[in-house]
Amino acid sequence: MIFKCRNCGGNTVYSPEKGRMYCSHCESTDSEEKIGDSSLVQCVNCGAPIQITQYTSACRCEHCGNYLIFNERVEHVFEPKLILPFRIGKEGAAAAMEKEFSRRLFAPADFLSAKSLEKMEGIYVPFWLYDYGADYDFAGEGTRVRTWCSGDTEYTETSYFEVVRRMDVDFDRIPVDASIAMDDSVMDLMEPYDYRALADFAPQYMSGFFGEVYNQKAEELDGRAQAKARQASEELLQRSLTGYTTVRPYRKNLHLTRESFCYALMPVWQYVYRYKDKSYLYHVNGQTGKVIGVTPVSRGKVLAYGASVFAAVTALCYMAVHVLEIL
Amino acid sequence: MRQYFRYFKWLYIVLAAIAVLAVVLHAGHWGLAKTLNYQRKNTECVTDERVFDGADVLTDKEEEKLRRLIAKRERQTGCDIVLVTLNEPLEAYAREIEPGVRSEEFVRVYAEQRWENDGFGYDRPDGDGVILVDNWSRADDGSIHTWLCTTGRARDAYYEEDIDHLLDNVYRYVEKNPYRAYKTYVNDFYHDMLGWKVFHMYVPGYVPWLIGIIAAVIFCVVNWRSKEGKKTTTATTYVAGREPVFRVSQDRFLRKMVTRRKIQTSSGSGGGGRSHGGGGGHHGGGGHSR
Repeated sequence: MIFKCRNCGGNTVYSPEKGRMYCSHCESTDSEEKIGDSSLVQCVNCGAPIQITQYTSACRCEHCGNYLIFNERVEHVFEPKLILPFRIGKEGAAAAMEKEFSRRLFAPADFLSAKSLEKMEGIYVPFWLYDYGADYDFAGEGTRVRTWCSGDTEYTETSYFEVVRRMDVDFDRIPVDASIAMDDSVMDLMEPYDYRALADFAPQYMSGFFGEVYNQKAEELDGRAQAKARQASEELLQRSLTGYTTVRPYRKNLHLTRESFCYALMPVWQYVYRYKDKSYLYHVNGQTGKVIGVTPVSRGKVLAYGASVFAAVTALCYMAVHVLEIL
Repeated sequence: MRQYFRYFKWLYIVLAAIAVLAVVLHAGHWGLAKTLNYQRKNTECVTDERVFDGADVLTDKEEEKLRRLIAKRERQTGCDIVLVTLNEPLEAYAREIEPGVRSEEFVRVYAEQRWENDGFGYDRPDGDGVILVDNWSRADDGSIHTWLCTTGRARDAYYEEDIDHLLDNVYRYVEKNPYRAYKTYVNDFYHDMLGWKVFHMYVPGYVPWLIGIIAAVIFCVVNWRSKEGKKTTTATTYVAGREPVFRVSQDRFLRKMVTRRKIQTSSGSGGGGRSHGGGGGHHGGGGHSR
């Protein structure tokens, strides 16, 4: 399918800044009209052949520049239940990157220039959101140690406690990305998303962006969600065991029950920069603006900043010593 | 460039502030020194000489320059400043006066006796002043002993670490350039006497360089680590209500155990190669060997 403007026939896209459909040709809003069932091999607008992967659900036609959404990959079993619409547009993502990289002191000054930008895409990444119930049964022996001195004798008092915890945790919507192309660790670092902005899926949100259907089923990725729930449960239990010098567990049973799961699309900006014959991939959370990616290091900057710190600290020490000696 | 200056703004401001403080202190120090002109009151001192180069390590010209410098510094500090170089074994001399004296303190006995016998002291005999005795004659163990003896106001002003610092500075040059070493003695004494003496602290010259290198390395390593990004989720991010529910949370006291241990106190401490304190009671001072 494709969304066209009722007023001018141009391609209407979802505008993150306006939070609604927008036609860049006649600047009208909410004037979209859904056109046709797109084929997976041909652009529904210009008829040009298109090349997509087996998981692509939305893309841009390289010939006419219109954004296409493939019906069969957003309907029936592939229909997402929820979607988190982009809240940050291209400019917002670029600004977030600039802000982040200004904090990375040794990044080359010309790294973010327009000429080094190779690719920039807004992508809806498929995620499974899992609801889990955790039942943690813990029992152990805790010790509290107190030491004091009296005369030439040191006393050590060790108090022993029986520590029992029975904890229930309701996990809501633990996200796990279902895209093979996306690095799992990067997608984990993109979290958290603000779920309050989650909306029921509507294909309009995808117009103007790229998208994928889930590459793996929820059952296949269940393990990652469980690992996250386990780690969080463990941390929560440890938080409740404060005040002890040591805790030796003798019963530790964590039982996780999957309550439900749903398929959702999450917004991610993907940037590729080419710098000194090397590609650098960055991801920006399309809702929060969080930036993930490694920056190159400018040796000149390292030298200049390092030498400045060395000179300044040495001078500072010399002057401080000198002042103290005068005093 | 803008990023560079913005980043280092505070560092340079602190640097400038300390530089200003150093300049102000220097100016105050210099201004104070200009106003000082002590009048010598000791009329019983048997000699006007201050440089006794028995070891003949100084040229006549160097001796003369030292005499002029000492005369100026004496007026500014109100202390007699005496330099003695020797090249003779002092064992028989020292043992006659202090039979049980240790070999490294022969030179101390000599310094104290010389000070008292010649009646040095700016305000009165055995009064304010300092004497450095550098005996170039090697002891049985091959070392050369030096002693700095302080009396009166100089004794009050000089702590152990001040003496160490001064003798360290003398030893830095004495083998290659004795004149420079003894000039350092006179000038260091002047600076020490004019200082406010709030801190008796000396930092070895390499320390600021070392701190600078360590700071630069830490700075580079910390900023070089270009991490992908920071984890910003917590254990409660996906927990409904942000809190777990504890059906049971029980901490039951079982028992208590007390153990006791005798604290071992160490007796005595190891000695160093340096000696401080005078044997004459009213003399202060300390010595070094090389």
